[in-house]
Amino acid sequence: MTIIQDRPGPQPGAPHGTLVEEPLTEFVPGPRPRGWVKFITSTDHKQIGLNYMVTAFIGFLTAGLMAEGMRTQLIAPNNHFVTPDIYDQLLTMHGTIMLFVFLGPFAFGLANYIVPLQIGAPDMAFPRFNNLSYWLYLGGFIVMTGGFLTNNGAANFGWFGYAPLTNAIHAPGPGADMWLIGIALTGFSGIFTAVNTITTVFCLRAPGMVMFRMPIFVWNQLVTMFLVLLAFPVLTSALGLLWADRHLNTHFYEPGGGGQPILWQHLFWFFGHPEVYILALPYFGVVTEVIATMSKKPVFGYKGMIGATLSIGGLSMGVWAHHMYTTGAVLLPFFAALSLLIAVPTGIKFFNWIGTMWRGTITLNTAMLFTVGFLAMFLFGGITGVVLAQPPLDFQLHNTYFVVAHFHYVMFGGSVFAVFASIYYWFPKYTGRMLDERLGKLSFALLFIGFNLTFFPQHDLGLRGMSRRIAVYDSNLGYNFLNALSTTGAYITGIGVIPTLINIFKSMRTGAIAGDNPWDGQTLEWATSSPPPDHNFESLPPIRSERPLWDANHPDELTRVGH
Amino acid sequence: MKIEWRTILGASLFLGIICAIYWFWSTEDTGTALLLFGFAAYLMLGGYLLLQWKRRHGIPRSEDKEDATYAETAGEHLGFFPAASIWPAGMGLGGIFVGVAMIFGNWYWVIALPLILGSVIGWSVESEAPEDVPDEVEAARRQDTNIDPADIADTDAPAHP
Amino acid sequence: MSSLSGRLLATNFGSPPGVTVGDKYVRSLWHITYYIGTPLAALVVGLIIWCLVRYRVKPGEEHRVPAQFQYHIPLEVAYTIIPLILVAVIFGFLYGGEDKITNVSKNPAIKITAEGFQWGWRFTYPNGHQEQGTYQAETNINSVANLPVLYMPANETVQIRLISDDVDHGFYIPAFLFQRDMIPGVNNVVDLNVTKTGTYLGECDQLCGVYHSYMRFKVDVMPPSTFNSWMSSQAPHSITNAGVHQ
Ligand code: HEM
Ligand SMILES: [Cu+2]
Ligand SMILES: [Cu+2]
Repeated sequence: MTIIQDRPGPQPGAPHGTLVEEPLTEFVPGPRPRGWVKFITSTDHKQIGLNYMVTAFIGFLTAGLMAEGMRTQLIAPNNHFVTPDIYDQLLTMHGTIMLFVFLGPFAFGLANYIVPLQIGAPDMAFPRFNNLSYWLYLGGFIVMTGGFLTNNGAANFGWFGYAPLTNAIHAPGPGADMWLIGIALTGFSGIFTAVNTITTVFCLRAPGMVMFRMPIFVWNQLVTMFLVLLAFPVLTSALGLLWADRHLNTHFYEPGGGGQPILWQHLFWFFGHPEVYILALPYFGVVTEVIATMSKKPVFGYKGMIGATLSIGGLSMGVWAHHMYTTGAVLLPFFAALSLLIAVPTGIKFFNWIGTMWRGTITLNTAMLFTVGFLAMFLFGGITGVVLAQPPLDFQLHNTYFVVAHFHYVMFGGSVFAVFASIYYWFPKYTGRMLDERLGKLSFALLFIGFNLTFFPQHDLGLRGMSRRIAVYDSNLGYNFLNALSTTGAYITGIGVIPTLINIFKSMRTGAIAGDNPWDGQTLEWATSSPPPDHNFESLPPIRSERPLWDANHPDELTRVGH
Repeated sequence: MKIEWRTILGASLFLGIICAIYWFWSTEDTGTALLLFGFAAYLMLGGYLLLQWKRRHGIPRSEDKEDATYAETAGEHLGFFPAASIWPAGMGLGGIFVGVAMIFGNWYWVIALPLILGSVIGWSVESEAPEDVPDEVEAARRQDTNIDPADIADTDAPAHP
Repeated sequence: MSSLSGRLLATNFGSPPGVTVGDKYVRSLWHITYYIGTPLAALVVGLIIWCLVRYRVKPGEEHRVPAQFQYHIPLEVAYTIIPLILVAVIFGFLYGGEDKITNVSKNPAIKITAEGFQWGWRFTYPNGHQEQGTYQAETNINSVANLPVLYMPANETVQIRLISDDVDHGFYIPAFLFQRDMIPGVNNVVDLNVTKTGTYLGECDQLCGVYHSYMRFKVDVMPPSTFNSWMSSQAPHSITNAGVHQ
């Protein structure tokens, strides 16, 4: 159906005044299916966004259970809860699902749901491609996890699958192929989503929503999608070559046949490092939104924030080989310099977040608590990142538990806490109902304590020389107590997810009615009903700053530059 | 438009510089090729946007204008937003079966191909749904395109004064 | 836990002591990172806590709207430039140290070839003598009795060529604060100069298949004279299999 945009202008004499009442869009309504048919055929970006987020969360729970299995194996030295082979399968699928099925796609779900709303668009630019990318993603999830049902089990060579451990001799059976094809499917889905989001942001903004008025969340999603556009094709082709090696007897990664195993490492990490930022930048956006809203302030240093995002994006494409320092085959100073440089824009973001809270009116609700948790944990993960960026220290710590601790601080303490913040922040928009604060705070407390108990001791384990990806360890090396502590923490973390699950199921039906704008929000998603109607807006306030809704609701409290 | 193409060409330039430094310093092929790919990919994208911008003679769209009103975009053709469609799901299932064929054997193409072909046909037929443009809107749209470039200041400049 | 806090607070600044000449470069980097990182982290965390305590809404002021300021250019420039300088300082330190650690000498005291394979180690000496062992001799992960041994002299430059023919492995000796991958097709040569005699544990730290966790070895660092007499007592091209009684 064609939409003819028919937007009324702001009412004369009220530049920052009341919302405009006339309908914003006129469109010929098509069939409006419900239930399963809606789930399968809907091209509404909100439905697809929710599909993504719910599926991704199921991925989180699946991979989380695998993690509990691994931690149970590691609770004591020389333990035999699972065999080494099963441990390797759990390890590989835990990592793969967390990254390719949970953390990335959850951000894609947010991009789908929130970006069009925040820029005042009726939908994504290519609604049907959007629907298609969801199916490819779901297919990828099912295919890669299905490996557990095959005779040889799922893939067992770690999430970055270093050749030649992945070839037909060392990894026989369909499990490895299912891993490979599953990732490729999610990769295609990611590329489609990127194209879709970029086009949406470039072509469907509401009048007056110039680039430098877009919320930081939209900017971060935009930069993320550009990274996806660069990284995922490289990964997909690397997987294609691997598939050819396995099935067509080519020798791209085969040392015997003139190939180079290290080629895989270059291709993989040229994807892999931008991927790390694909998993982080959207969540930087989330916490920026939450901090600004909960502090009732504009984002401090808005333009600097955008500059920082852009430079993180740019630099992240030139640092892939910091994952390859110990191969002895890369140019160390080049990669060390660029890697250390990334700390600078990241630092800018931190100070801007603090500046946003500074002299604000801070509401410390669950969304904000998770955001503060994010700040603390990501800070710590960032500092250990600066440690690992230095080749001589990486020679000491690479592939030890120090690295495991580092990236869990970044991805769990960082991004996953932001996932929870986003749930508590935008749930009212998705459903029209508020989440329960008491359950939310309980969930936060358990996750925060459990998480730190799990991963803080792992820094020390790494320094003591415990290498990662081992299924059993020696009882005489001083690892025992710290591992037991870590596993205890993992159980507490696991329990910590439950209150949020209960909260979601309960509040969906019985939560307090949220209304359009429960947080006194500043951006356009709060200018429509909760949940928003088809094609999103009945009316829009005039867009004259990066906070159109705030301007409309607080005509006397406009942004001032300086202090 | 201006900020869009500038950002992307900027990224392309950055990758170009990094690529040059990397090549001269390391003379390592794989990384150089990858950086070159990044440079070229962004160059293409940014270049395309630059062309679009040139084609509009730099006239900002309403979303590029700081003081745009909703009224001035009235009647603008925003795009095609189908309400619901089964074809993407069919195509997706087909795509998944291509993957399955690559794992478990070519036999599965028998499922994949009909699904994909059928969906492509269904999809494209659906796309040709007639444009429901009321006459008066169509007329307004024609009038609207007679914008005098001089009327429109280029306002990609800083946000709030 | 006590050792954990000791590790963090004592003069080690994070790292346990290393026993090679590279130790002092590694340690200097730990120090500089601590000196820069700790105050910075304390500052950031302090500011966040301050904001939360000081600006949190008090009962009754839920509707107070704070001042809406947004930019402070000098401040923003400051927190861009200062981190840039700090990062440059770190880079300066590591640029020097890293060269020292990766440098390989033209005339080392002895050249040894270390090969990793699924799942074990083979160390080949200049006269063709081999020390080797596999996971099968390692009956129990809690015992190091049957691990293959890499013998080397102390206080001399030992050059080790790291090779693998099947999959990637990792040559990692925690006490040396050092590791290097063994990748088919990549020719890796490293110099080690150990300053303290003793027996150290080595491990493969690159996932290499099912028995990866069991792929360990011992390093026996001896005074040069002891090493020389050990070396001369090994017949050329003889093979010692760890855990197998000849
Ligand atoms: C309850 C929470 C979690 C626990 C207890 C946990 C535990 C673990 C464990 C035990 C390992 C294996 C370490 C090894 O043997 O080397 C691991 C690896 C990993 N985890 Fe987690 N994890 C958790 C959450 C997450 C999350 C949220 C993410 C990312 C979003 C994540 C990403 C990864 C990755 C990428 C790996 C590496 C896999 C590999 O080496 O191939 N984990 N985790
Ligand atoms: Cu990286
Ligand atoms: Cu190994």
